Amino acid sequence: MAESFSFDGKDLEVIRKILSRYPHKEAAILPVLWYAQDKFGHTSPDVQHLVARTLDVPEAHIHGVVSFYTQFYEKPMGRHVLDVCTCLSCQVCGGYDMLSYIEDKLGIRAGETTPDGQFSLQSVECLGACGYAPMLQVTNKQYVNHLTPEKIDRLIDDLKAGIEPSFESMPPKQHEKDNRLS
Amino acid sequence: MPEIFIDYQRFEFEQPGKVLQFMLDAGLDLPFFCYHPCLSIPANCRQCVVKAGMPVLNREKGTFELDDKGERIIRYFPKLMTACSLDLTDGMVIHTHHSDPLVKQAQADNLEFILINHPLDCPICDQAGECPLQILTYKYGPEGSRFEHKKVHKPKAFRLGPRVVLDAERCINCTRCVRFTDEISKSHQLTIVSRGDKNYPLTAHGQEFDDPYSLNTVDICPVGALTSADFRFKARVWEMNQTPGIDITNGKGCNTYLWTRDNLVLRITPRQNDHVNSHWMPDSGRLAYQRFNENRVHRPHIKLDGNDQVRTSWNNAILTLREQLEKTEASEILAIGSPHAPVEDNYAFRKFFKMHGVSEFFFVPDIRPGSGDGFLLSDDQTPNTNGVRLLDFKETTCKNLSSKIQGDKYKLIVLLDDSLFDRPDWPAIDPGNSYFTVWATNHTPTTAAAHLVIPVTCAAEHAASYVNVDGRIQRTVAAKETRYTNRRLNLEMSMGRLDHYGTQFDNWVDEKNRIDCIPAWEFFKKLDAEARFDWNSSREVLNEISRTLPVFEGVSYERMDTLLGVPLSISRNTPVDQKKTIEPKP
Ligand code: SF4
Ligand code: FES
Ligand code: FES
Repeated sequence: MAESFSFDGKDLEVIRKILSRYPHKEAAILPVLWYAQDKFGHTSPDVQHLVARTLDVPEAHIHGVVSFYTQFYEKPMGRHVLDVCTCLSCQVCGGYDMLSYIEDKLGIRAGETTPDGQFSLQSVECLGACGYAPMLQVTNKQYVNHLTPEKIDRLIDDLKAGIEPSFESMPPKQHEKDNRLS
Repeated sequence: MPEIFIDYQRFEFEQPGKVLQFMLDAGLDLPFFCYHPCLSIPANCRQCVVKAGMPVLNREKGTFELDDKGERIIRYFPKLMTACSLDLTDGMVIHTHHSDPLVKQAQADNLEFILINHPLDCPICDQAGECPLQILTYKYGPEGSRFEHKKVHKPKAFRLGPRVVLDAERCINCTRCVRFTDEISKSHQLTIVSRGDKNYPLTAHGQEFDDPYSLNTVDICPVGALTSADFRFKARVWEMNQTPGIDITNGKGCNTYLWTRDNLVLRITPRQNDHVNSHWMPDSGRLAYQRFNENRVHRPHIKLDGNDQVRTSWNNAILTLREQLEKTEASEILAIGSPHAPVEDNYAFRKFFKMHGVSEFFFVPDIRPGSGDGFLLSDDQTPNTNGVRLLDFKETTCKNLSSKIQGDKYKLIVLLDDSLFDRPDWPAIDPGNSYFTVWATNHTPTTAAAHLVIPVTCAAEHAASYVNVDGRIQRTVAAKETRYTNRRLNLEMSMGRLDHYGTQFDNWVDEKNRIDCIPAWEFFKKLDAEARFDWNSSREVLNEISRTLPVFEGVSYERMDTLLGVPLSISRNTPVDQKKTIEPKP
């Protein structure tokens, strides 16, 4: 397999630290995948291969983990990834309506990326914010709750203008605040 | 002794264990999918749920609390428990579907749930007839489904690897296949991808499921999600006969079942033997069915003039060989036994030629260091090397043997079923001027060079014994009829539905599948002009062996059948110079 991705010395040092926190290396898979996705922007098959080799765990297992979570991107994504929840609570509160509204607005289907590489759209399962249904998450960060077409219009305009939505209900990604890593 | 009450019935248990396995051992019924006795227990299918409780203990008095009727008060777990992962505990009370309506309901509901996205394509599914999902649904399932929506679609007829085909829609995500590659074959090639109703097993990107043991996942898959690329759509399981056999493609002697229809072996699957192969066998052994069916020597073949062989009668074959024996001195006969042939045939071969004054017997083991894996593949490529050794054949090499053949000393070469010319280290030579007689199951370069070829039965056609690399003697049962055997008369052979209810005039019957061949021991009996051999079956040959050769003492077909093979003390009885070549136990 073409090896177009690699970890440098600093990366390996971080990974070594991550490994030292767990009794066995399988537990380090998630944080190392996060680290890899932050670095490369995705966890494509080549990145999975790299992580498997670095941690010396079966590559099939990494594939299983990556494909389990919609938060890991198996292919390069647009600059902003809109994860629209279409699981039960959001569904009954109009999650699919919101999804098709965005689909029409951006001219792409769930699972696709706009030609200008700005937006990717995904339909995802419950993000644990059922109380704010319908909702979406922006690129594994901010939750945007109680969606309406107007709110979506504003969000997309903001994102295009480079304005990140503010956090409504969720803390930032756990690993970014993790001072044991730095 | 610790006790457990299952559906108001008291059982005692000695060993710690799980409730499901205990129930299965006790012959009680409980539906389950994901549990497998050789694999870890994920308890993910939820089919084996039972109601479980413990008697309430009065800690002060150290006795069980009793109700007004004097019965123990039982405190039940708040939810149904999976019996596969529940530890046997002294005093535990279990209710299954036989005594608790909730359990019965749970079993039916769980099946309804599992079947929501299942395609229900049993009529075209290879697994139908031996499918736990189908069987358990008949027995424990709901009458119908309340699911009215479109089923989720997933990859179908997807080639997971060279030998395994996946139908992801049928998969119930029990993870047995994944656990097999993680825990048994240790190739770690499979995982479950995605989640929820999109789940199915898959390899890493760009990789193939080419594990040398991959087909075991087809056997343990409780549905038709994993099927064998080779066997797919060849036969319905209920059309076939199932006969116990032994893997003859390497020295381990995995226990197998041969599945036949109309006297063709259509597939080979492992048969549980905890002393040898547990529930597993290598993929390579399953391909042996081809050599049982194809390219067989049918009727004796003889070279008249020139190089072309023609078919001839058994009488002519016998008379020709007798003639050759008459005009050849015993010292001019080169007798070569075979690690491919069973103990009985090698014994008969040796006994016959010994009576003719031949004193030396050779054989060439086919051991290829490095080709084994310490699990179920051995370096030894043949099923009976130890058996031939124990019969006092001298071990030699291709090189030595071929120089003997080329020399002038031998006028008659007799070779029991062994395609020596195919061996990688066989020097390219032909048998020179000597008369070359071969007993063989299949046409090979070796038989092509022979002046006389006697067709003999293969492991699928005879009852015969083989001694594996660990010194365990095990036997086969005839699965395929020859021209001279008949299922209805040989009570040991199995009868399938088609055999019971069909006739030889049915259009699916092909007489060609019954090969014109006999076991080698029977040929030697016929060959002996003075009729000194009184065997009527291979069983009698083996009885004679166990009477006369101390190392085989006490071995009989009955004992091999009840004990699943008999360990021989080969190390004690093997001459010192041969000991070192016996492979160590993995
Ligand atoms: S393919 Fe078969 S063995 Fe594997 S998880 Fe699915 S049902 Fe279980
Ligand atoms: S269903 Fe959408 S967050 Fe739970
Ligand atoms: S067999 Fe117990 S949960 Fe599957």
